[in-house]
Amino acid sequence: MQVLGLASSLVDDTVLDGSRHHRRTSGTPVDGTAVADLEPMLRRIVVARLGDHPAAEDLVQETLVRVLDARDRIEPRMLEPYAIATVRNVMATMWRAEGREERNRHRAHDPGVPDPADAHLLEEEERLALRTAVGRLDRDERAALVAHDVDGQDTRSLAEEAGSTAGAVAARLSRTRARLRVEYLLALEQVEPPTERCRSVLLAVSAADRRRQRELGAAQHLLECEDCGRLSVPLLRRAPARDDETRVAISADPDIVTARRAARAVAARAGLTGADLTLVATAVSEVARNIVRFAVQGEVVIELLDGPRPGVRIVARDAGPGIADLEQAQRDGYSTCAGLGLGLPGARRLMDDFDIVSTPGQGTTVSMTKWIPRRT
Amino acid sequence: MGDPTEVEGAASEPAEDLLTQLVAHLREHRERLRDQWMSRIREAGLLQAMTPQEMGAETTSVYDNYVEVLETGSVEALQRYARDLSERIIPRGVETHEVVGIVLLLRDVLARSLFEKYQRDFALLNRILDAYEPAANRIANTVAVSFVEERERIIRKQQDAIRELSTPVLPVRERLLILPIIGVLDSERAGQLTEQLLGAIRTHRAKVVVVDVTGSPEVDQTVANHLVQTVEASRLMGASVIITGLSPEIARTLVRIGVDLSKMNTIGDLQGGIEEAERLLGYRVTRRNDVADGP
Amino acid sequence: MNDGPALVSILRQGDTLVASVHTALDDSEMVRFQEDLVRQIGEHRARGVIIDVAALDVLDSFGSRTLRTIAEMARLRGALTVIVGIQPAVAYAMVRLGTGPGEVPTALDLEEGLAHLARARDPGGGGSVR
Repeated sequence: MQVLGLASSLVDDTVLDGSRHHRRTSGTPVDGTAVADLEPMLRRIVVARLGDHPAAEDLVQETLVRVLDARDRIEPRMLEPYAIATVRNVMATMWRAEGREERNRHRAHDPGVPDPADAHLLEEEERLALRTAVGRLDRDERAALVAHDVDGQDTRSLAEEAGSTAGAVAARLSRTRARLRVEYLLALEQVEPPTERCRSVLLAVSAADRRRQRELGAAQHLLECEDCGRLSVPLLRRAPARDDETRVAISADPDIVTARRAARAVAARAGLTGADLTLVATAVSEVARNIVRFAVQGEVVIELLDGPRPGVRIVARDAGPGIADLEQAQRDGYSTCAGLGLGLPGARRLMDDFDIVSTPGQGTTVSMTKWIPRRT
Repeated sequence: MGDPTEVEGAASEPAEDLLTQLVAHLREHRERLRDQWMSRIREAGLLQAMTPQEMGAETTSVYDNYVEVLETGSVEALQRYARDLSERIIPRGVETHEVVGIVLLLRDVLARSLFEKYQRDFALLNRILDAYEPAANRIANTVAVSFVEERERIIRKQQDAIRELSTPVLPVRERLLILPIIGVLDSERAGQLTEQLLGAIRTHRAKVVVVDVTGSPEVDQTVANHLVQTVEASRLMGASVIITGLSPEIARTLVRIGVDLSKMNTIGDLQGGIEEAERLLGYRVTRRNDVADGP
Repeated sequence: MNDGPALVSILRQGDTLVASVHTALDDSEMVRFQEDLVRQIGEHRARGVIIDVAALDVLDSFGSRTLRTIAEMARLRGALTVIVGIQPAVAYAMVRLGTGPGEVPTALDLEEGLAHLARARDPGGGGSVR
């Protein structure tokens, strides 16, 4: 197993520090004081067993990371016993790993270790993935991340060193974290992205950079590319919940009802009233049904708009077969599926703006907008 | 590797102390700073709609709230205050840029006084400003947003009231509504009107509606299409619509531009329309077939 | 009816079936409703059918088409269908959308629907069914 060799070659300070970044970037507020206080004790334990083994310091740090990781689950008075148990595990794992590497050196293919504790194995995999991910960062990126997230150097002084501004440094750090998340997931799932676009799309999603996502056509890509679709789930979940946007995945009949309910709710928040709400819900029903009937799978995104005028925008996209003759599809009476000819032209009549883009073989995107009536 | 927690602790711990210091300073010099702020407001030509007394009262109040929000970090208090303020000053014609302007001026007056106080200790000054700026910007933002929202709410309320007046749906007798359309109908108002009429059909359980367009100077294609839609939608609710007051010229024009008048029951004048409605309702005529199918 | 009762109820009143839709239906549920209703029209030899859609906040092209289909199949079995309870906003949306129940008669509510059926059967008689 290649990962194994890679991991042991990466057991150095940087990599272990890298796992700390990961904790930091996953959104938990860092209150590491109590955990950091454990450090001298842990070092004593490790040194007592290993002497001045080159990995001793790494194991201490590794343990701290794990305890930090788990601190939401442990009571304060259990902190110390937990840390002691953890450091023992960490040392045991290292011994096992070293022994295993030795034993398996002659094999081309490592069949994996029959570890009875699956949980432990999983943990190990996550750790390896994180190491791989940190290893894929640029040297500069890694250095900045370590300086800021581990050594506590602030962005201002980092900026001074780099001859840059604090804002630019902060932006760069957050890009690095976004990248780390993507690389971590790729390593964890052991996926090599199938297309050149994948990494950029995942990165834009991870960074919650909506402009970039639009430029890349990220939403469409996530529908088309199975790997990215799966990998983007944790990334999207992590992004701060936007209360001005609702996303409904469409793959079956009940989703049509869900989508139109969501649309009605968002439209009401946008300030639409009365019959307008029903017009929006009905239009959504039509476009969502087109997805279920013709494309099997897609999504409807309902978005609040601030400008140029307040309103609500619906984007329905799928990665289906596409529509060959758009003009014909928008004429009344057109239908390739019993009696649904009214779908698109009908939705167009219900909304203020309506736009459709379709590429045969790639999919269809309908965007439509309802503006809040200007009341004069 | 050093001990990261030490470095972190040194940078973050005094943040609250800084804020306390800062608030104490702003409280201590309240009078002087408020006066400076007021003169800046006057120089900038803002709030001219207010008398000096009003301005004095409002600025004092905004100042105190401002400091309180800095101290407590509670934006709710400020939001409440900003809404109250908006409600009072919007009718006097105070504009959004003025409200944002005075809050930004206050931010700058206070920043300047902090600068003067701490300029000797540059490091401390930096930290003080770091603590102050985000809080101050958040306040400015909150006030602006509250003001704009309140303004929109008031405007919308007024417009709703005006609109109600312009399209009255009159329940003439049981199950009969009359909708006289007065003035120019644009697409938006036509939509409103349809909605109102359909709602009224439900509330009054109307079976017949007479829409009288005598008072509407033009009936163009848009309006005509709306009329057609209204007739159709009313039918879906079980009510028949009679259109009255459509002059022969307009009727001819509509037919020429492709409006399907055959779906509409049109009668020359309002009187005739009401008579027809009563016939449909079975008040005068003995035969009662065809009642619900309508036109 | 399998899981029908929760979503739709079909009651018999003399030779009239009154079907009330209680909540938004998705397409498959709509189709199931159509099958149930048409079957019961045959079983009960109903002469009139009233479909109450007051609980529906959306009647899109599929919903309208299903209602038209039911009415047509009912007609072939000798029953007249009236749709009642279309909400104002729904009526407006149906017109804008360009769909509708076509030639199927509509009435304000259940009471009006029953009156309509009575009149249709006995054009010369009184307007009240009760």
